[in-house]
Amino acid sequence: MDKLTQFKEIIAQYCQVAVEDMKEDMRFREDLGFSSLDFMSFLGEIEDDFDVELDEEKLIDINTIGEAMNMINGLQGA
Amino acid sequence: MKSIRELWEESLKKYEGLPAVRWLNKKEICEKTYDELGNDIVSIRKGLNAEGFSEAHIALIGNSSACWISAYLGITTGQNTAVPLDAGLPAEDLTELLNRADAEALFLGEKQAVLASQVKKECPKIRRIWLLSDVYIEDALTLSDLMAAGTRAEDITGKNEDDVATIIYTSGTTGKSKGVMLTQGNLAHNVESVDYTVEPGAVLLSVLPIHHAFCLVMDWLKGFSLGAVICVNDSYMHMVRNMGIFKPEVMLMVPLMIETIYKKLTAANPLIPKKLVANKAFGGRLNIIFTGGAHLDPFYIDKFGEYGIDVLEGYGMSECSPVISSNSPADHKPGSIGRPLKNVELKFENGEILVRGSSVMKGYYKMPEETAKALKDGWLHTGDKGYIDEDGYLFINGRVKNLIIMSNGENISPEEIENKLALHPLVGEVIVTGENNGLVARIYPDEDVIKSKRLKEDNIKVALQAVIDAYNRVQPSYRQITGLIVRKEPFPRNATGKIKRQEAAA
Repeated sequence: MDKLTQFKEIIAQYCQVAVEDMKEDMRFREDLGFSSLDFMSFLGEIEDDFDVELDEEKLIDINTIGEAMNMINGLQGA
Repeated sequence: MKSIRELWEESLKKYEGLPAVRWLNKKEICEKTYDELGNDIVSIRKGLNAEGFSEAHIALIGNSSACWISAYLGITTGQNTAVPLDAGLPAEDLTELLNRADAEALFLGEKQAVLASQVKKECPKIRRIWLLSDVYIEDALTLSDLMAAGTRAEDITGKNEDDVATIIYTSGTTGKSKGVMLTQGNLAHNVESVDYTVEPGAVLLSVLPIHHAFCLVMDWLKGFSLGAVICVNDSYMHMVRNMGIFKPEVMLMVPLMIETIYKKLTAANPLIPKKLVANKAFGGRLNIIFTGGAHLDPFYIDKFGEYGIDVLEGYGMSECSPVISSNSPADHKPGSIGRPLKNVELKFENGEILVRGSSVMKGYYKMPEETAKALKDGWLHTGDKGYIDEDGYLFINGRVKNLIIMSNGENISPEEIENKLALHPLVGEVIVTGENNGLVARIYPDEDVIKSKRLKEDNIKVALQAVIDAYNRVQPSYRQITGLIVRKEPFPRNATGKIKRQEAAA
């Protein structure tokens, strides 16, 4: 499974949007229906599954799937 | 029990060598026993006295930690009053609350250390700031400094049952948060009256914000009274991971957490037995979740039951220290919020729940009019409507006051947010409502500003969204606006000129 699909499958656990319908500009809260706690829990899983450490202070700027993916790529040095 | 001092000293006597608090430092589990924590508490209590703090209001701003609770108990087992504040609030709100609470000293979490210089400038009554860690910054001392100051000092007695132990700030319906004064007796009686017990050494994982009465009293004070080990969840991001690490038996949650965990549970492969899924999600030993702060759909109670977990709903408010009624492992009815505690009397006035008893607050700090409105002849007007069924269980079926209850248990005063947004010249009229567990702002823009800036329809929405974004940036997530509706007409008003909220939101 490629990284983006793995990422979207984690997102799919918290929302009713199918992996194939997810687009990078979709917003977690408005388009995917995440609660603030869903989002935090999701990020915790991302840390475990992608072996990265997230800085809570910087999460305020993450609104879309694309922004979250870029952040992880940045942390992994991809 | 009549005081926090008595509660703590009884626990210390009974559970001396047992672990009291566990937390993570990077990946290592750290621990303090009841006697180790007790030594810290005595040192802080003596230190405060040695530094000249007696009958003083002392604030705490920080996340849950062993240091935070030591400082809280150091304050409240001595001659001072603790004022726990929400570390997530914007700096300007915190300094305003410190001033309104007449705080003379402040314990500050390491993450909030940046506040120290602003507090020094804007809060003239604050004489000392101690960081709840051993990091040195220019405007603060450390907890170790304070404890060292108390080393050679004599210990002091505790306060009386009727003395104020804590002031907890809660959303006010007039747009200004109110300082709920809880006495030593209020808190001790609430701990004693909640009907549940665990074996000494049982593990609790504390995931709610510690400045909330529900967490402070029911996780920490109640937990200590039972000899439990209270584990600190360092971040919502790591809640599930931390359940696996600490393996709690009991947890307090707000409905939002239960909803999030349920999504995770149902995402598991349906072929895997539910017991195994629960073991992975909850660490394998969780059997009770107490929930409160907002209504939980009974659907979740049934569903969690399938995973071997009893979800027990209760009801309370800061003004009642906080629990008023609760389901218990031995006595519960799904959909209800349990039977009233044994120290509580209830009656109903036009459907509104009124509460009287030894856990009801002394009043709101320096707000005599608000106090008189809320407390009449010793009866607290809760603002909630409800009834007691034929079996004696309490149910809620509406609200009298205009407060938005989010499913994370936060009470939002729409007026408080509206007042902030209305400061912007482009915002003519604004109404904030709670919808789909988010906050929606309906704004009628100021016509004069539109004309003078020659804004077109598209630009108005962009400009107003910028106002919302600027507001959101400095607010904790539960107070952020998630939806914006631009109105073309002013809001309908009643005969006295007030906006008709119900019609405005339609």
